[in-house]
Amino acid sequence: MQASIDPPAYAELHCLSDFSFGRGASSARELFERAGRCGYAALAITDECSLAGIVRAHEAARDTGVRLVVGSEVQLVDGPKLVLLCENQTGYTHLCELLTQGRRASRKGSYRLTRAELAAGSPGTLALWIPGAEPARAQGAWLQTLFGGRLWLAVELVREGDDAAKLQRLLTLAAELGIPPVAAGDVHMHVRSRRALQDTLTAIRQRRTLVEARGLLFRNGERHLRRREALAAIYPAALLAEAARIAARCTFSLDQLRYRYPAEIVPAGCTPTVWLRQLTEAGMRWRWPAGTPEAVRAQIEHELALIAELKYEPYFLTVHDIVRFARGRGILCQGRGSAANSAVCFALGVTEVDPARTNTLVERFISKERNEPPDIDIDFEHARREEVIQYVYAKYGRARAALTATVICYRGKSAVRDVAKALGLPPDAVNKLAFALGWWNGEAPLDARLAEAGFDPASPVIRRVLKLVAELLERPRHLSQHVGGFVISDAPLATLVPVENAAMPERTIIQWDKDDLDALGLLKVDCLALGMLTCLRRCLDLLRAHHRRDLTLATIPAEDAATYAMVGRADTVGVFQIESRAQMAMLPRLKPRRFYDLVIEVAIVRPGPIQGDMVHPYLRRRNGEEAVAYPSDDVRAVLERTLGVPLFQEQVMQLAVVAAGYSGGEADQLRRSMAAWKRHGDIEKHRARITQGMLARGYTPEFSAELFDRLKGFGSYGFPESHAVSFALLAYASAWLKCHEPAAFVCALLNSLPMGFYSESQLVQDARRHGIRVLPVDVRASDWDSTLETDADADAPWQPALRLGLRLVRGFDEAAAVRIGQARAAQAFANLADLVERAGLDARERRLLADAGALRGLAGHRHRARWQVAGIEPQRPLFGRASPDEASIVIAPPATGENTLADYAATGLTLGVHPVRQVRAQLRARRCQDPRNLRALPHGAAVRAAGLVTLRQRPATASGVTFVTLEDEAGTVNVVVWRDLAERQRRVLLQARLLGVDGHWESVAGVQHLVAQRLHDYSALLGALDSRSRDFH
Amino acid sequence: MLWACVRLPSLALDAALRRREPPDRPFALATGTARQRRLVAVDARARMAGLAPGQRLAAAEAVCGDLLVDEYDPRATREALALVAAWAYRYSSEVRLDPPRAVLLEVERSFGLFGAWLQLQARLRGELSALGFRHSIALAPTPRAARVLAGVRDGAAVTACDALPRALAQVPVARAGLPEAAAAALAGMGMRTLGAVLALPRAALQRRFGQALVEALDRLLGARPDALAPYRPPDRFDARVEFGYPVQHQPALLFPLRRMLGDLAAYLAARDGGVQRFTLRFVHADAPPTDVAIGLLAPERAAAALFEVAKLRLEHVTLPAPALELEVHADALPPFAPEATDLLDARAANALPWPQLVERLRARLGEDAVYGLRADADPRPEHACVRDDGCGAPALPALPPRPAWLLPRPIPLRGPAPKILVGPERLETGWWDGGDVRRDYYVLELASGQRAWAFAAPGERGPFMLHGWFA
Repeated sequence: MQASIDPPAYAELHCLSDFSFGRGASSARELFERAGRCGYAALAITDECSLAGIVRAHEAARDTGVRLVVGSEVQLVDGPKLVLLCENQTGYTHLCELLTQGRRASRKGSYRLTRAELAAGSPGTLALWIPGAEPARAQGAWLQTLFGGRLWLAVELVREGDDAAKLQRLLTLAAELGIPPVAAGDVHMHVRSRRALQDTLTAIRQRRTLVEARGLLFRNGERHLRRREALAAIYPAALLAEAARIAARCTFSLDQLRYRYPAEIVPAGCTPTVWLRQLTEAGMRWRWPAGTPEAVRAQIEHELALIAELKYEPYFLTVHDIVRFARGRGILCQGRGSAANSAVCFALGVTEVDPARTNTLVERFISKERNEPPDIDIDFEHARREEVIQYVYAKYGRARAALTATVICYRGKSAVRDVAKALGLPPDAVNKLAFALGWWNGEAPLDARLAEAGFDPASPVIRRVLKLVAELLERPRHLSQHVGGFVISDAPLATLVPVENAAMPERTIIQWDKDDLDALGLLKVDCLALGMLTCLRRCLDLLRAHHRRDLTLATIPAEDAATYAMVGRADTVGVFQIESRAQMAMLPRLKPRRFYDLVIEVAIVRPGPIQGDMVHPYLRRRNGEEAVAYPSDDVRAVLERTLGVPLFQEQVMQLAVVAAGYSGGEADQLRRSMAAWKRHGDIEKHRARITQGMLARGYTPEFSAELFDRLKGFGSYGFPESHAVSFALLAYASAWLKCHEPAAFVCALLNSLPMGFYSESQLVQDARRHGIRVLPVDVRASDWDSTLETDADADAPWQPALRLGLRLVRGFDEAAAVRIGQARAAQAFANLADLVERAGLDARERRLLADAGALRGLAGHRHRARWQVAGIEPQRPLFGRASPDEASIVIAPPATGENTLADYAATGLTLGVHPVRQVRAQLRARRCQDPRNLRALPHGAAVRAAGLVTLRQRPATASGVTFVTLEDEAGTVNVVVWRDLAERQRRVLLQARLLGVDGHWESVAGVQHLVAQRLHDYSALLGALDSRSRDFH
Repeated sequence: MLWACVRLPSLALDAALRRREPPDRPFALATGTARQRRLVAVDARARMAGLAPGQRLAAAEAVCGDLLVDEYDPRATREALALVAAWAYRYSSEVRLDPPRAVLLEVERSFGLFGAWLQLQARLRGELSALGFRHSIALAPTPRAARVLAGVRDGAAVTACDALPRALAQVPVARAGLPEAAAAALAGMGMRTLGAVLALPRAALQRRFGQALVEALDRLLGARPDALAPYRPPDRFDARVEFGYPVQHQPALLFPLRRMLGDLAAYLAARDGGVQRFTLRFVHADAPPTDVAIGLLAPERAAAALFEVAKLRLEHVTLPAPALELEVHADALPPFAPEATDLLDARAANALPWPQLVERLRARLGEDAVYGLRADADPRPEHACVRDDGCGAPALPALPPRPAWLLPRPIPLRGPAPKILVGPERLETGWWDGGDVRRDYYVLELASGQRAWAFAAPGERGPFMLHGWFA
């Protein structure tokens, strides 16, 4: 081989990234870094019928200084394979449309393109013909008629055979057809050593093991970005130079894309600025009929000026339009996000966060310097979000509105599963490995866990699995539909980005995810679904219907002491965001007294602050046990509202600005790095920057190091204050309703399930403990939904009674419930036959009602009800009801325990005696403490307690601790099981339904725990409730 | 008539344990797709550890770390049941299979031959235990009653129909063998025992649960005949001859062998079947028996052909000790498709068609001595030619020309520098089984004019390793 001093310039024009799922084995970043090291003039990313990875490639190109050529590889069903490169923006538009056609013509994840779609010749693109092993002349000739001087013949020499002969053949063909030849590399990975992963991806794509797929793999690792010296030894210099020339012709860059907001949000003859001002002023008159407070008016003026300066009016108008629609339909909604909590948004009705009440600073939410579109997520009632989505589609048309994509990446479990399967491990071993490595992040050593799972960490197969899994982790796996992120554009979206089919019928997604949109500055509105909004709307409706109160989210009385007192007792079952076990453990310590405390409460019980060790300093300072010192007034201004502890993303960014000299845009980069530092590891480059910036401003090295570590702890979990504020508002509203209208609140909750942390049973028990009378499901009184009943007998009841609805009957359907309600409204049911006849109940519905005990008023106890409904025969037209009167037989009623079990089986809850109460005598005999005594024990007391296991939780943040929640007749008991006990008594811990715990009672500041030292499985006692199991022997 | 029910409560487990070493730790059978693995059966140790059938395998392994798991094999389980039925056939000519896990046999007529129920029962139990089947046995005048009783009270014996209602009264409805939906519904109405159900008016029952329930009750009590199909013993052939004196030499074996294979042929003809595989077993005085398996390419049933194959095979067998007995076992008896006899058959009398030739070579040289070759898709040349296992070749990738003669192992190529004709073709593959190769292959012309296929390290042009010759 001759060593050439300066090999010819080269640009790779045929290169797949890992967004060609199952084919490309390297990320765009890896490819561009390698291309930079090899001195390539440019690199085309030509993922197969996809631009899903092109924004990442754009960013990688920007960071490495290697120019990106935008393109795509397509295989025609009835024709050749070719690579299309975008010469200019026209070409880009045509490519997007072509890829959209191909993707839309096929099911999710695949595409279908024929000669017909290509017939227009895609102006503005350059084409490389990728001939097969036996080049079909006719294809080349056909392409030439389409592309003329924009067509090249790709010569791809990858040493799979006689390359010299292949080169001669192709050069001859090129000369005969008059198509210029060009060198290309069919690149699937950035370096040769990726070939094992590339082979594995091939096997996974083919759904085979590597051994089965052995004939389909590339036979060598040549399809990487080869050094130019190596290429010079393989290709004639002219072919390499041609590639560089083509790349130079392709001047298109994603930076040229100009996105236009939809035009129809502004009435004809009006400018966005004027229209937004008109709407805002109308909103002010609506919000403040007596006149807008001066401070608010000033703030609105300030915000409008800022919005006008940044030209964000169309965004606010779009959001307003969607919210207006929802409001018109009576759909409760609430905005959150960086811009949502502005005074303008309050006036527009996008949010209920009253600026007069919360003292928000809009700069916190819209930054002039960040120059990124404002971010507003809108939560809608869960059950009715679909109406909103259909409205958006109808208003802008399917061509101009689409959902954004979510890139589903390989995580521990999926990576292990696919790799182990490809390496041919048997199914049980695949499962075990996936279990053992499920949460592996590719870093920490695993030998102990593997050995524990029965694998030899040193065995070659396991080593291969680990190496490949580490390479596969975080790689994109497929595109999925974002939960609600809409992109709306003035021009058809398909001219901007390819659109493809989602898994759901009638849904389309664009090929970019939200980070891609952010990077390109595209407008996105998140329409999300929130169960709590459904619940709140139903609760407010109930209060109106029962003439108790007429409230809206905005008029629920603010800063109510009784509500805060309830929250401080952790009496928050059902309350939005602060009802989890972890939140409840925090509430008595934090004792929220005002709205902003709730904002903090919502944000502090999250993995970020917990891992960053921000919780305890905050609590100590709040309780006055620790002084707060600020190193400067700048820092004080940022951190004072959280007592010097950085809790929110916005604070981190502000700190970077005021303490380390970041510009707003740079601070935003820092935020992104924090969100993704695990993936790119590029937060470290901020360490030096922050440290130096802070030292230069006179901060101590200790403070800057501490601050940086806090930031890292934030990781991807950092919670934005703008979201916390919106959530806190719903938390407050639901807490207020629970405090003052508990019956309506639990009723609305039951009708909005599934949502939140608690089951029907737990919600109903909580309501009863608060003195709400709960009435059983009964065909004589129940509707589909649970309802409120005002008890005429009791004098002036504090709260109405709750009547459980037929929706609690598992398997029952709404139509039958409606028929029952209508028949009952016409006339009360005389007997069972009357019910069945007038409500038209079939055998299954009758049986479900009998099982649920809903026939008690018409047919007596369950056994009798079941016997009777089974005896009803279908009506025969000629003979009328044919069920003869039977001699009544004696049927024994079910025992208490049987009723309990039947209640749970049919409705998930019982209003009868709590199961634990039923076995209390046996528990006492086992020296278990009675529930009331238990809760009165002093701190540190040794005790044995027992209850039904309702929750077992092993949070990743709790270093191996298992949290168990027990339920007894008086409520719940929180048990802490340390890791070594959990290992020793694994079986009892995992299997007991009725669990006994010996341990120490901890009771500090209103928070009570039982720290377990020994576990007992008392489940057998529950078995005794089922008398049927005692029958024989 | 009196029916004995042999119930095999852990049939799947027993069937699996018959085929393997006794496990030294908790053992279970599992089935289902990779993500939905569930336990089907657990042994006593596993049960002690808290496992139960129906549990998810992942949950079971979380609880019981050293669990040993085998795949549940429904066929083996069915075969085990068939084995028990075949065994039962020794004691009764009226045997009924009652899947999934019971066998019924009419025993009243067997008492004369095998003794009263107590003796017969003891004998059945002894043999079942020896066979490795856990069991429960009950006796009743109807097959269904026997089965129900065997399920709830091992050893129960009821000999008269009019005693049945009383004997069955306490049986839980769920275990009475009634239609499942009806049984569940009855339990939900507070009818927990068969006694309670039998006390109900038949009309009321029929109205609620239909004819099926009423018929099931009638069959249980003997008021209606039962309709289980009688069991027929399996299609297999076993024969045995004792020599009365030790036989060592082959010729002395041929006579009895010819006779037994004649019997086999007659048997096959009678059932219009053929045999493709059978075993000759020589029983020795002091050594374990010698088994000689004989396989044929296609089902055959002509006595002469069977004898010819067996004789040739025996020429290559040396018995370790004199034989006292010869047994012939044939258990694969597929249908026989006779070859159409062509009047104008032009084959030379001693020319053999290909399958028969292979068969004869195999019989002479051993089963493993004759096989075909096929190309394989493995990109590594040394793995690209494999024994034909009859599964058919996978689709082969298009490859550049390969040499006709591949050396068993590459050897260094010596001599003057050869001329490179073609190359390099680079191979970098095979890492997945630890046999990664990285080679540049060249077609070389040697000074002798021979064309060689040789490889060098990637990027190098020598030294070469010779791997094959082009013709």
